Amino acid sequence: MEVDSDSDISLDLDHQSSKAKGKAKAKAAADKKKADKGKAKAKEQPYVWEASFARSWDTVQEDEAGSLQASVEDLMARGRRRRLLAPASAIRRTIIRHLILVLDLSASMMDRDMRPTRFDLMLQYAREFISEWFDQNPLGQIGIVGMRAGLGERVGAMSGNPQEVLKSISDRVKLEPVGEPSLQNAIEMARNNMSHLPTHSSREILILFGSLTTCDPGNIHDTLDTCVQNKIRISIVALAAEMKICRELCDKTAGQFGVAMNEGHFKDLLFELVPPPAQRAAARSARPSGTNAGLNPAPANPAADLMMMGFPTRLPDASIPSLCVCHSELKSQGFLCPRCLSKVCDVPTDCDVCGLMIVSSPHLARSYHHLFPVKTFTAIMKDLDVAPDAADACHGCTRIFPERATNAKEGMSPFRRYRCPDCENDFCSECDVFIHDVIHCCPGCGK
Amino acid sequence: MDNSSHLSVVLDLSPAQWYQSPLSLDSFLAQLLVFLNAHIALKHDNSLAVFGALPDKSVMLYASSEPPMDTPATSDPNCYPPFKRLDSAVTARISEQLEDPLLDVTTPSAIVGALTKALCYINRLSVATGLVDPRILILSVSPDLSNAYIPIMNSIFSAQKLKVTIDAGQIYGPDTVFLQQAAHLTGGSYLHLTETSALLQYLIMTFLPPPSIRKVIAVPTQDKIDFRAACFCHKNIVDIGFVCSVCLSIFCQPTPVCSTCRTKFPIKTLQRLNASRPLTISSANNSARPTPVSTPRSAATAARHPPMSAESIQNGSGTSAVANGSGH
Repeated sequence: MEVDSDSDISLDLDHQSSKAKGKAKAKAAADKKKADKGKAKAKEQPYVWEASFARSWDTVQEDEAGSLQASVEDLMARGRRRRLLAPASAIRRTIIRHLILVLDLSASMMDRDMRPTRFDLMLQYAREFISEWFDQNPLGQIGIVGMRAGLGERVGAMSGNPQEVLKSISDRVKLEPVGEPSLQNAIEMARNNMSHLPTHSSREILILFGSLTTCDPGNIHDTLDTCVQNKIRISIVALAAEMKICRELCDKTAGQFGVAMNEGHFKDLLFELVPPPAQRAAARSARPSGTNAGLNPAPANPAADLMMMGFPTRLPDASIPSLCVCHSELKSQGFLCPRCLSKVCDVPTDCDVCGLMIVSSPHLARSYHHLFPVKTFTAIMKDLDVAPDAADACHGCTRIFPERATNAKEGMSPFRRYRCPDCENDFCSECDVFIHDVIHCCPGCGK
Repeated sequence: MDNSSHLSVVLDLSPAQWYQSPLSLDSFLAQLLVFLNAHIALKHDNSLAVFGALPDKSVMLYASSEPPMDTPATSDPNCYPPFKRLDSAVTARISEQLEDPLLDVTTPSAIVGALTKALCYINRLSVATGLVDPRILILSVSPDLSNAYIPIMNSIFSAQKLKVTIDAGQIYGPDTVFLQQAAHLTGGSYLHLTETSALLQYLIMTFLPPPSIRKVIAVPTQDKIDFRAACFCHKNIVDIGFVCSVCLSIFCQPTPVCSTCRTKFPIKTLQRLNASRPLTISSANNSARPTPVSTPRSAATAARHPPMSAESIQNGSGTSAVANGSGH
């Protein structure tokens, strides 16, 4: 009995997968190459309500020996291929970012197609997204706008403090979904929130949209045109299906659009928006070289500026108390402005005495791995490439390499060796992933 | 202290620096080995890894997960076998590395390489066994290597992600800004040794207890922490830098073009920054950003010299900044 119901479901899944592809074009293009059924099963599963229960064990497949090694390797191979597609050289990215996160708080968010509800899942992922976003964009700011009962609603003001932003969406009861959403109202509100921003920062709107309708007071295409003019980038993650207006909003403003097919895919789509976007070619309107800068006072790139910043000294908690210049309170801990040596309570800030922008240098350094990415390691494919005197263990973690070639999936090395093109040291697949995703620095060449 | 803990030690083995140090490498190693033995003796399943940072390369000297093959079979009856294995492996590997004829003693040691290897190793162990409270102890004798600024910061952030505590001990020479930051950002302690003869005592009192019990005992806290950074252009360590708004690269002096992202900066900004640079405090109020035409005095200057050169604009804005400042 049980066996029967199981097979029914899998048949159903295969049948549905073609439909799902038509629906979510963007994802389908990425998925098309994956010939192997097992590894992409989670993503092919079109809608959660079509399966009677969660079949998480379907996402991994055991090989003949009952080992899960093959599935793990598949996941890694996928990551490797994605990295190969990414440009290896440093591209310019906007690092001082301003983002308005627009949350759909309409009645359609109470749907249970994503567990526990779309709304709860969205809140949970939004929290994770905000923490990760601030981790990678330390100088950025996030504001939050809700779409509820046909109105745009300011949930959290633009802030650079992750705790404040998280606090604004921490109370679930205050955000209880009701009524229809209005894209236009929400975008207008987000746009007004960002109108005062300096030109060198990026302006982005990220909409998490669960509804299939929008209830707007005017022509939303006018709003779209103003957004294009104001160089606001709109990205949308839809939870239901693709709407033409959503696609258009994203395409015209150079944002990203995606339809989430299940919980995991929703998270993937959301977290793809964490790294700073590569700067658009339009902003790079550099004048032809040789133009005398003195004659033409208009800057080559209005978006760029050089800022003077000071890196402070932190006083220990046990130092002698003194008055701070910002609150005039007697405190022992604090930061000393490097220029005027006055004491401020917290960084980043502007010094109240000399006006110098004081930042902690680790804040800046958090974004440097975007500028100097580690080169992609090459997978060793042939026997000849393994020199007889090559090290028999991984250069990073000293794991011993297998002596003979094993069968491996496409893109993976049969020798489990990945070589840095600069220092020509071999690394194991775990270290390869770890070095590129976490450390951002090759242990062999120290770069 | 219920759980076993993992310790990775990164040793700076730069021959040039050890030559100048008041503490000889031999006596350092003798004291260090006692400390390492103490660590493995504290708890039966405590694990240990030792990495050496040599000029231009880094090597793993010892790892408790893979006992060295070439240890002498003859065991000393007066010595606990794990101690013996550790001591002989570490000393043998160090002397083998230092006697390498290809070693260029003048190149600075590859602390970053050793640190990233330690992180890779911890990553491997934590995937396999789920380590609790892993930590890294860096014992350094070299001054700050400013061209390693970005890799060091990257390793610090990955240590934060892995929840690894980094302890740092500077045995000889000036304070290192980067190791101070490493210890501060990962919640470890930084120690600048003033009395090298008491090295073992410092090591045991400060670095032996695992992070979980440091809360209840008084480990030395850090004095001032320097948040200075190294600039990208000359690798100077600066306290006031000029930062590109696009990619956040740090420069020690105003440059017309960002060397990292090739952004061109507006000429006005350059002039303003150049003007405010030499006068450190008097022209500090440059956030007001006065334009030369706005004040009568600079307008007069401009009238006297119709072909306005960069020099005169600089002077004009400089003086007007002072005038403006006093006006407020």
